[in-house]
Amino acid sequence: MNREKLFDALADVDEAYIAEALRYSPEASSGSSERIVHLNKKRMISFALAAALILALGVAAYAVFSTYSTRVPEPEETFRINWAENASGYIEWTDAKLAVTFPDTAESKQIEFRPGWLPDELSELMVNKPLSRLTAEQLAYKFPGLSGGQPLLIESYSMSMFNNGGALLLLYYTPGEIIEEHWDEQNVDVMRFHCTMTLEANDYAPERTFEQDILLMSNPEAGWIVCLNGEIGMDELVKVARNLEIFETGTALTYDDFENHYAFMDGGVG
Amino acid sequence: MEDREIIDLFFERSERAIRELDSKYGKAVKAIAGNVLRDRQDAEECVNDAYLGVWSSIPPQRPDSLGSYVCRIARNQAISRLRSNTAAKRNEGFDLVLDELEECIPSGISVEAELEGKELARAVDRFLATLDYDDRFLFVRRYFFADSVKQIAAAMGRRENQLSVRLFRLREKLRKTLVKEGLLV
Repeated sequence: MNREKLFDALADVDEAYIAEALRYSPEASSGSSERIVHLNKKRMISFALAAALILALGVAAYAVFSTYSTRVPEPEETFRINWAENASGYIEWTDAKLAVTFPDTAESKQIEFRPGWLPDELSELMVNKPLSRLTAEQLAYKFPGLSGGQPLLIESYSMSMFNNGGALLLLYYTPGEIIEEHWDEQNVDVMRFHCTMTLEANDYAPERTFEQDILLMSNPEAGWIVCLNGEIGMDELVKVARNLEIFETGTALTYDDFENHYAFMDGGVG
Repeated sequence: MEDREIIDLFFERSERAIRELDSKYGKAVKAIAGNVLRDRQDAEECVNDAYLGVWSSIPPQRPDSLGSYVCRIARNQAISRLRSNTAAKRNEGFDLVLDELEECIPSGISVEAELEGKELARAVDRFLATLDYDDRFLFVRRYFFADSVKQIAAAMGRRENQLSVRLFRLREKLRKTLVKEGLLV
């Protein structure tokens, strides 16, 4: 009866906590609207600065021979995605907003990475050991203007995982203009875009729009992909990507090494 | 209509008070009754009982937050009704909420038998006071209103798996708070 006793006790929690939960207040969550406006303006300026930086570094436009192919899936198109909390371990997902595919690659070199630069707020994540995944969700409180709660997420993938029609998907967010480039310094193909998701008003909250930036960088010869996404702004995301140190682990991965051949890139679990 | 005006209608014994109460807080009351009781008819009867409870207690009560007040009554009514139901009417969704709360209590340890419910509630209050708004909203919607994680994710604009991880951390934090305060023996 322990659990019932605890549940019963919750009936007597302070009424102020019940009252504030009657309706979700994004303002209470993400700071004032002034802050959000400021961030949006900052983001627009950031885009301009990022573009200038890229031009100054002599980055070539790279659309003709890009690693990436994109398509907008049909609304009823179903993707079977690994989802640990589902009883079967999978969820059948429809209504994806974008599918990014890659050239079929027999073997991909497994990699790890180490951030060479992170925004000051995330400096405690500057570790020496190589990582296969970095999440900054636990430091979201340092970014009061966040809309989705994930300042930065970096994950590595293998192209061989996405052979035979597999894809890296946008499930929730709708992409804006997609920019493709080649960064000579790191010899990587890059795809990046800003994306948004609008939630309709419901019983608890008014209509809200969430935003984030996504950057994919890949080495088609080695067959690895790094996905960076978050709400730190595109210019900072580019800076994080440009300063990533990539290490090959010595392991080669093939299609059969992966049980799942879809992944989604719009955010993640901390 | 402001809470104060609706309460004034209750004091005047105006039947309009119930209509205004339903108009303002009906969705929340129906949600909590539906979350605890899977049966639609049971939930509707529970809502009516809750409104009757408010009618019977105001006056003399004059709650600061009418929404909290009616939701609390509806929750208590729903729990009582659930416990008197047969096993065939068990609500799996609500059982899951209780299972999750069980995690807050380490195995082999029980909530102190003599512990007053209100003392436990004050400990939960202190725990809630340490949380930021989002975590507090999430915890209260899940364990007071018994909302599904899917419903909360829709309200907050988050993904279900993200909130499930956060709930797991909150239960861990509550468990540590209860142990630290000596409320588990």
